[in-house]
Amino acid sequence: MLIELRDVTKTYKRDTIEVPVLDGVTMMVEEGQFLALMGPSGSGKSTLLNLLAGIDQPTRGSIKIAGSEIAGLSERQLAGWRARNVGFIFQLYNLIPVLTAFENVELPLLLTDLTKKQRREHVMTALEIVGLTDRSGHYPRQLSGGQEQRVAIARAIVTDPTLLLADEPTGDLDAKSGQDILTLLQRLNAEFKKTIIMVTHDPHAAERATRVLHLEKGTFVAA
Amino acid sequence: MKFLSLILKSARRSKRRTALTALSVAVAVFLFSSLRAVLDGFNAGAAGSSSTRIITIRSTSLIFAMPSSHTNVIRGVDGVQDLSWANWFGGIYKDPQNFFAQFAVDAESYLRMYPEVLLSPDEKQAFLDDRTGAIVGDGLARTYGFKVGDRIVLQVGIPIYGSQDFTFTVRGIYKAGGTAVDNQSMLFHWKYADERAIEKGQIGWFVLQINDPERAAAIAADIDQKFTNTPYETKTNTEQQFMASFASMFGNLNLLLGSIAFAVVVTTLFVAANTMAMSVRERTTEIAVMRTLGFPSQVIFFFIAGEGLLISVLGGLIGAGLAMLIVNGERLGVTGGFVPAFGVSTTNALIGVGISAGIGVVAGLVPATLAARLKIVDALRRVA
Ligand SMILES: Nc1ncnc2c1ncn2[C@@H]1O[C@H](COP(=O)(O)OP(=O)(O)OP(=O)(O)O)[C@@H](O)[C@H]1O
Ligand SMILES: [Mg+2]
Repeated sequence: MLIELRDVTKTYKRDTIEVPVLDGVTMMVEEGQFLALMGPSGSGKSTLLNLLAGIDQPTRGSIKIAGSEIAGLSERQLAGWRARNVGFIFQLYNLIPVLTAFENVELPLLLTDLTKKQRREHVMTALEIVGLTDRSGHYPRQLSGGQEQRVAIARAIVTDPTLLLADEPTGDLDAKSGQDILTLLQRLNAEFKKTIIMVTHDPHAAERATRVLHLEKGTFVAA
Repeated sequence: MKFLSLILKSARRSKRRTALTALSVAVAVFLFSSLRAVLDGFNAGAAGSSSTRIITIRSTSLIFAMPSSHTNVIRGVDGVQDLSWANWFGGIYKDPQNFFAQFAVDAESYLRMYPEVLLSPDEKQAFLDDRTGAIVGDGLARTYGFKVGDRIVLQVGIPIYGSQDFTFTVRGIYKAGGTAVDNQSMLFHWKYADERAIEKGQIGWFVLQINDPERAAAIAADIDQKFTNTPYETKTNTEQQFMASFASMFGNLNLLLGSIAFAVVVTTLFVAANTMAMSVRERTTEIAVMRTLGFPSQVIFFFIAGEGLLISVLGGLIGAGLAMLIVNGERLGVTGGFVPAFGVSTTNALIGVGISAGIGVVAGLVPATLAARLKIVDALRRVA
């Protein structure tokens, strides 16, 4: 089992009232799965994804990913863990505007010991997978939304992470670009055996996944 | 190295803002270095003075003179080896704006006692031979374009010298060989001024050469003792103290210039800190993204702090460079000859750059801390 989530609870304090967002969630994900997380707005999908990404901490419960428990790691340890294990794809791409496509993809590699030449090879491989080698010198503002998202995917896979997490990766794209991105994710899953968890509102997008889970008010429900 | 290029790219994000921040630091460092140069001039004048020269003035003030009959009395004091005297002339060269010091001196003894006035033997002789001759410092000569043989006409500035203009011939251009002498002054014969003075035989101050610097205080007391309860009481001091009292005629210059420099630096600090804070706020999402990619908070901290430091030091280098270029090129005329006018020293320039680094560090501290402490999910949520 790649991911073992046990009895995970997340509550936010709003003033003095505790707002439960995730309520004792348990979830198992095998390596190589392409999992779609669905559910109404505010059901806790992003919160769950953030916990899996190690950018947020659960209030209670255990999160075991690839054998290591990440709930309760220090901020410093988590940063290192994220760099090695997680590729994150945002709805709004979130490329760094002052960096070219190449430099954006290279960014996570700056945290490794790779030489400049090795980094270059990795970046070009990642850009080739997303089909954007010819745009490596472009800045984000010179790219279309779909292209930006593909650069963001290249950035997410360049370190060859254990897990790819995507929060509504097609949410801001037109239908055609959205299809391209989904095809790309499918390929990453099928061809490169990447484990992917994708949050989506779109049932058609969810169809591309190998498995779908529905979240409602902080717990999984049957579809 | 790989991180440095990231900082550079980040600093270029908003070129205008970066340039303006660097510029404000540049102005601060420029002012600081220039003001330090002026202060150094004053302080070095005092510090560099000879400890075997002591100076006698009227106890009341420099402005009031003493009769030349004091000469013989002072000469008779034990420990006094040599003696010269000078007056402050206060003449006006064409326009009161053209302010520089003119000293009426007993030329032969004065040059003997101030070997720091460096003059070629020919020029020295020509000066001594000409009753209306004058010598000018090379700095002053540069400022006004004075050359040997030129005539300098001075209007009388202090009425005790009558009302008629004085005409001098430049007989030599001296260099300052020590900090007790500055190169922004004009020296001429006391006799020439005295001839026209309404009251003859008035002396502004005496310069005495003593044999033993250890006894300076005792000798000074002896001299002042001789004149107690006469209409012309004296106050004798070491040259250092004399220089200091000259400087204090302008109020506490050290404090004044020091406060100005300090205020400028503090203001700039706020400007830089505010700019950095603004630029970090705009970059909240980016910082959260970098953190998500696995950049540790410490690295983010150094990114932001490094960017502040870089911009600020860039400004510092520009400011210090300009100060050396402009101030040293012109030579400061502002001290008007009371003290040696120094340019911006390398030390001052380096201190200026150091201050810019300090501004950079302090200004970046708060924004960098905020950036490092940022909660990733909150930052991502804010825009989404
Ligand atoms: N930092 C926070 N402070 C307070 N409440 C929060 C915080 N983060 C999330 N919440 C709340 O938790 C609930 C779930 O949020 P989450 O973003 O996980 O929903 P979601 O399923 O991703 O919704 P959407 O489909 O709209 O993106 C929401 O009600 C939200 O208001
Ligand atoms: Mg969401």
